[in-house]
Amino acid sequence: MTPHQPGGPLAGVRVLALVKVWAGPYAAKLLRALGAEVIKVESMGALDEMRAYGGVDIEHAPYFLSQNTGVLSARVNLKSPEGIAQLKSLIAKSDIVIDNLRPGALEKLGLGYEDMKAVRPDIIRVSIKMYGNEGPLGQQTGYAPSFAAIGGLNYLVGHEGEAPRGINIRYGDTTAGAAAAFGAIAALHHRERTGEGQFVDLSAVEAISAMVGDQLFAFGLTGEMPRHTGNFHPDLSPHGVYPCAENGWISIACDGDGDWQALAATLGDAALAHDAAFADHSGRIANRGALDAAIARLTAPHDASELAERLRSQGLSAYASASSLALASDEYAWSRPAYHMVENGNGDIRPVVGPSWRFDPDPVPTERGAPLLGEHDDYVYRDLLGLADDEYARLKANGAIS
Amino acid sequence: MTALTGLRIIETAERVCGEWTARLLADFGAEVIKVERPGGSPTRRYGPFVDGESTLFGYCNTNKKSVVLDLDDPEARERLDAMLEAAHGLIDDHDDAWCRDRALDAAAMRARHPDLVHCRITPFGADAPADRQRAFPINVANAGGWAWHTPSEAAPCDPPLMGAGRFMTDFDAGLDAAMATAAGLFRQRCTGQGQSVDVSEWQVQLSRADIIIGRILAGDDEPTTGRTRYDMGGPGAQFACQNGHVHLYMTTARHWKALRELMGDPDWARDYPADWLEFHCTRERVASFRRDFAKWVADKDKVQITDAAQARGIPLAPVNTPADLLANAQYRHRGFFQAIDHPVWGPIEVPAVPYRMSASPVVISRHAPAPGADRGEVLS
Repeated sequence: MTPHQPGGPLAGVRVLALVKVWAGPYAAKLLRALGAEVIKVESMGALDEMRAYGGVDIEHAPYFLSQNTGVLSARVNLKSPEGIAQLKSLIAKSDIVIDNLRPGALEKLGLGYEDMKAVRPDIIRVSIKMYGNEGPLGQQTGYAPSFAAIGGLNYLVGHEGEAPRGINIRYGDTTAGAAAAFGAIAALHHRERTGEGQFVDLSAVEAISAMVGDQLFAFGLTGEMPRHTGNFHPDLSPHGVYPCAENGWISIACDGDGDWQALAATLGDAALAHDAAFADHSGRIANRGALDAAIARLTAPHDASELAERLRSQGLSAYASASSLALASDEYAWSRPAYHMVENGNGDIRPVVGPSWRFDPDPVPTERGAPLLGEHDDYVYRDLLGLADDEYARLKANGAIS
Repeated sequence: MTALTGLRIIETAERVCGEWTARLLADFGAEVIKVERPGGSPTRRYGPFVDGESTLFGYCNTNKKSVVLDLDDPEARERLDAMLEAAHGLIDDHDDAWCRDRALDAAAMRARHPDLVHCRITPFGADAPADRQRAFPINVANAGGWAWHTPSEAAPCDPPLMGAGRFMTDFDAGLDAAMATAAGLFRQRCTGQGQSVDVSEWQVQLSRADIIIGRILAGDDEPTTGRTRYDMGGPGAQFACQNGHVHLYMTTARHWKALRELMGDPDWARDYPADWLEFHCTRERVASFRRDFAKWVADKDKVQITDAAQARGIPLAPVNTPADLLANAQYRHRGFFQAIDHPVWGPIEVPAVPYRMSASPVVISRHAPAPGADRGEVLS
């Protein structure tokens, strides 16, 4: 254990993160939230773009502060041969190296998987690339909006009868990052059992395709091309997002006739509850245009959250559609807590979105925020690598540590 | 030998999120024994059906074994305890009341099986209030914020959309649950100790938007009821082309210069400043660009034009259909689809994992089981 181990299931695991923008940092953050010590390798000359976006300076950049929770920062100048040498020493003391740099970028620096293996034979290298590391399209690169289009999500999202519109443009990076973190942990198991490290080569677009894998599988068997169908669900009725007061929306899903009867009764329309056209699932599917219109008329005057609470009190599955205002002011989110107050390296206290899991016993506290650039240089170079004072000073002076 | 070989997982899950969690562990070689109620898992009733078999169930349950136990029957419940005694993990996705009634809540599990890694996947957390114990994916997507903001540039009158297909939030939740469980199993491997893992499907949705919500929580961005709060602005969007759609994402002067070259430098493109995407990205310019680009791309071939754009560094991507992906040369090269034989369907291809693992490659070796198919082996 070191002073920077937070405890938790991955206690004792050290991750070196050569990551930028969103997918890579997200994977690194999740591994930290599972208890690993994560060292982000940074350099003033090749900053994570997130340190630049929207901030007054690199230590107050909102995007960076929102995602590097609990991560350590060590400066290594990858343009300096001595910097590369130090990084190799650090790899020798790490369990996992994760990167989302361009295909071939690490190899050009002499930091390919074989090079890493030479200094740490059981290293686990996890790479996140749009299409993976090699193959007929392996050199193509892109951003998350491209992942969602290529991976098959965007074709399957849209309102019925209209062109496919795709999922929100921000979706993609985090799911790909989560898949990378899972792959890293699977590889840890293999190493623990066999002593063998490995190269985990993630394709971000395949990670996205896994979100629609059931439809790819069904298409392979039926030959019937799936289509985007708005919020239609062939097995649940009614099933949809219905209008409420002040441009609000409520999501409602009914499973079976009992749910439907309870919904109609709670919405206060006895006639609807007894309408033979909607009496059973097949009728509600066959007449769903009329059904959805009738429900919309009943939901429209109500506040979405109040109506959802009333429907849930009757055992129904109904939740307001949450805007960013609703998310930010959600009392349950603050009390669970889904949001945590953390202390950043810059000294500020800031709320962040925490992980989706809780462990008991041995939880991982979410207390530390994002690091200053090079905040943990001393820890890495003195404590882990054991550099003498004069050598450490020399490397800082000549720019290898910068 | 795959990564989780030697680990035995019991699955009492009956929703897609839990079944998917256990399949992800089974992909990596864990021995997963699915416990089904008499009549079979509820997910077997979800279509599409082929030869009377659920394709959904067939997809979510490869590499698993199946036994049928009625957990309301005390004797069967004892059998489950015996199975858990010899297992490393338990995956469940039932609500709090159901679990308490069957002594399958976290406290009961810690008392009876302290060495077990016990993962519960629930909509809002295992101990959420009673009225937050039940939710379907459409509810999770809406309560979690992604639906409100989907599609991008939604108008106030457009119903929020739950995402692609019926189970996207289940698959995303399964990913977090499998990851956290695998971490708990790693700790068990190192220390011999068990752990409760409590995964909230709704918090997975929040976590996937960490940098958007985080900035809003911190006051860097204003929280609003706007439908476009997650959007990025700019001209990126989907455009119809000759044989489908393409998705353009364009943010830099370099992208713009390359796109002009790709289009043969049309007259209309000369009206835009070189750095308009970074510094002069007005609503009017976005609208006029989209109008003219839509005309230009309308007769282009989806694959040819996106390959040509990629070669110039322009993030113009094909909007792939399921048919496109099944034929995709890169997916084929990496072995994303794995072939197995199914007793009813014959040879089938299963979407496998997004990884290539150099030392412990993933193998889909078993088709989804019939209910109770492995009774003899498991309960003997």
